[in-house]
Amino acid sequence: MVPSKETESMFHTEQQVGQYYTIPSAQLKKAFPNGLPRRFQMQIKTFNEACVMVRQPGLELISYLKRADYAKPALRYILFGEVGCGKTMSLCHTLHFCSTQGWLVLHVPDAHLWVKNCKELLPSSSRPTRLDQPIEASQWLKNFKITNEHFLSKQIKTTRRYIWTKRESTEEGRPLGEMVDHGMSRVKSSSDVVGALLRELRLQAGGATEDAFRLAVAVDGVNALWGKTSLKKEDKSPVSPDDLTLIHNLKKMLRNDWCGGAILTTLSQTGSLFKPRSAYLPTELLGEEGFDNMDPFVPIPVSNYSDKEFESCYLYYMDRNWLQHPHSRTEEGRKELLFLSSRNPSILERLCSFL
Amino acid sequence: MAATIASLLKPWTPRLCPVRWSRYNPYYLEPEPRREAYAAPEAELTPEERELKTTRSIKAARANDNSSPYNDPIISKFINMMMQDGNKILAREIMTQTLEAIKRKQVEKYHSGPAAEREGIECNPYAIFHQAIENCRPVIGLTSVQKGGRSYQVPISLTDSRRRFLAMKWMITECRDNKHRRTHMYEKLSQELLAAFANEGNVIKRKHDFHKMAEANRAYAHFRWW
Repeated sequence: MVPSKETESMFHTEQQVGQYYTIPSAQLKKAFPNGLPRRFQMQIKTFNEACVMVRQPGLELISYLKRADYAKPALRYILFGEVGCGKTMSLCHTLHFCSTQGWLVLHVPDAHLWVKNCKELLPSSSRPTRLDQPIEASQWLKNFKITNEHFLSKQIKTTRRYIWTKRESTEEGRPLGEMVDHGMSRVKSSSDVVGALLRELRLQAGGATEDAFRLAVAVDGVNALWGKTSLKKEDKSPVSPDDLTLIHNLKKMLRNDWCGGAILTTLSQTGSLFKPRSAYLPTELLGEEGFDNMDPFVPIPVSNYSDKEFESCYLYYMDRNWLQHPHSRTEEGRKELLFLSSRNPSILERLCSFL
Repeated sequence: MAATIASLLKPWTPRLCPVRWSRYNPYYLEPEPRREAYAAPEAELTPEERELKTTRSIKAARANDNSSPYNDPIISKFINMMMQDGNKILAREIMTQTLEAIKRKQVEKYHSGPAAEREGIECNPYAIFHQAIENCRPVIGLTSVQKGGRSYQVPISLTDSRRRFLAMKWMITECRDNKHRRTHMYEKLSQELLAAFANEGNVIKRKHDFHKMAEANRAYAHFRWW
């Protein structure tokens, strides 16, 4: 079966499972300023095109989004599976669908980056017990602005007055873009700006007016919000995730008390702290507290490649002149690759990269 | 017959015992990792081959020799030479990352350039590696010969294994010493290998200097007696 590389079309059906579709580069830079996995970014640079395989979990998620009722509270979807199965790629596939449909996409590329290796932890300006992360917050605001430029400059307005410090505040009725710019320039209050932004979007998503928008909240590695952090306060006591402003506000976003959108999340063991490598089920990775918070949710399992998908991936690499070793182009070599990778997408990619 | 074999296999130590040489009794045969050698069914073997299989002892196979066609002896040798403190896993990681880096650079050039140039771009990292090491091999070497109280540098021909060893050694020391401290080894190696493939770069320069020294000492060539 030859993988037909179709131009991007959001009307994918089951017949196209295993085939690749290309994301045009203009949309790529806008939709995913840094949302894609690192190895996929390297692959895009090498092959000069962004080809994503259409797989069953992504199609399932897109079909749920098409059929959901957006007058009811937001549904939570969790993509889970073993390490390297394609959870982040399925999420990116769905997010591309959302952005082509004109939704407002709120994408946290990896929540684990917010709970570890933070260079600057400031005590929060608004609440005494919380801790701020100015660098991560301003970086995220920059990416958010690139993704949702057209929403910020025109449509959405703030609903109340926000006071950042003694001298700076944003008035009621100003466009949200102004608030985001303020957060990017005044790095000290950027975490508070993120919190205010999330609150505004939550209140205004799915309104009845004609310029209502649908909100897609996408968090990769959602188990970071309920795990432990590797950060320490100045007196060397450990920080719990609730002490961080960014995490606290994001948790409020993940509660299903708002209407007019969907919450798409992924579990991830690779960036997680203090979790064993073999853990991949929601109960293991989220823990009791996380599971109770996320319950009820729609679980979507992501598995390794099926025979057809493996064949398609192999033919794609051959077509792009990526499999160079003469033995890997034979039938014997293909069987060896199948065995060595045991159909895991990321292991197959790493194997093919040096063969 | 059993008595003669037993007498050949008795405990044997070599007369000289250097640390890294093999301690095997010379009667032992080398292991054969390739799958094709065992493809013929037992009925088709000649009596000599059958005797070889049943009675002769074979040395233990090395851990990095496998029957897969993906196995490459030159690459294994290079990995062993790069290995430090017995950390084979790290050395192999560096090697695979190097091959990947070379392939990425070449495939990127392939896809982004015009269609006319595509034939000329070599994308196979193994071919590039082999050709680069081939280009770095010196043809003639120098050795020290003592004559009349003084030692002279005499040009001699080198064996194949010595040439391969020198090429790989120069490549590794060049990448370890003469590059910027903060770059990764695989980046340094991939740059140097691609340069050697095109017959440029520091390792090729070192080979040329080596040849020039041998040429300069041509007068002493008659000191060689073997």
